[in-house]
Amino acid sequence: MKHFLRWVTAGVLALGACAGAAMGAEMLLDDTGAVAVSSPPALLGPITESGRTGWDCAPEHAATARSANAAGLPHD
Amino acid sequence: MQRPPARQTQPVYRTTDVRARVVAASLLALIAVAMAPVSAQTYTGPTPAPRSTDAATLAATGRAREVRERFVRGVAAEERGDWSSAAAEFTRVVALDPPEPKGSSARYDLALAQTHLGRDDAAVALLEEALHRDPRFAAAAANLVAVDLRRGDLVAARRAADHYLAFAPDSVLARYGRGLAALRASDLATARGDFRVLIDADPSYATAHYDLAVVELHAGRDDVARAELEHALALAPNYARASFALGTVLVRAGRRADARIAFDRCAHDAEDPALRALAIDLRDRM
Repeated sequence: MKHFLRWVTAGVLALGACAGAAMGAEMLLDDTGAVAVSSPPALLGPITESGRTGWDCAPEHAATARSANAAGLPHD
Repeated sequence: MQRPPARQTQPVYRTTDVRARVVAASLLALIAVAMAPVSAQTYTGPTPAPRSTDAATLAATGRAREVRERFVRGVAAEERGDWSSAAAEFTRVVALDPPEPKGSSARYDLALAQTHLGRDDAAVALLEEALHRDPRFAAAAANLVAVDLRRGDLVAARRAADHYLAFAPDSVLARYGRGLAALRASDLATARGDFRVLIDADPSYATAHYDLAVVELHAGRDDVARAELEHALALAPNYARASFALGTVLVRAGRRADARIAFDRCAHDAEDPALRALAIDLRDRM
């Protein structure tokens, strides 16, 4: 009888855990916060002493670019 | 018997030919010497040696040389990821307080080193100072927005992004940064506008479609969100986050079989182990 009660308790707990997990998944899907926004932009690289207006300053070019690839925008 | 006259040997070159050739060779040599500086690659000459004995002039020349040398060493250190060495070089340059554009550039470079060393507060202060010295310094504005977004200061990120967009309205990086700051702060109208402008500027950028879908999900417009996610996946078929988001939209629409396919696609494409595990879990529940 004692063993039987132990098995019943374990079964109830296991079922409860499964139900909780399933409810958790459904709640997760109902919450729009579960869908993450995209990554923040990457940091632009170093600049030489010539400054942003110097010859071929890659970070400044990226910061003013008009296309995603030229600006190095994230893809995730 | 009279001997025939000895045959005189003819000189190989006549005297006039030799002179002409010498003159021609000299002219060619002169032309070559004259053209050398033009044809050779030009490098900046060495800094002229100080001609003054005035102490202030000598000190200024020494400072300028030190700034130049430390910039070279600091940029090289940043390019190889040695952020501590870079920070030391640019800290000294900032202390020397060179004129523009070196002053704002040194602060920008020091901020880059500081943020890689985990000192975001110091990086923000340096970038703000760089922008104070050069208000149209787009790279400094871009990094300021990026650092503020990374540390979760949405108010500061939004303020920095607004300033950035004000002087670089066509910059897609400025538009992306402000859209992200607005979306995270739940300013859906601004975020929607920014991501739409971004899509107009570069329709092939799948991430802008994804972020616009997230905006629409938050606004409760699931149909518009689904269309944007399908557009993102048409542009970037391996876009795992978009597959996951599409799965959630499909579950909410009661299309569990289609959602299972989307989660399976996410599980296949995701590089992030947490996202992959979540997608597998949800797929198996469909």
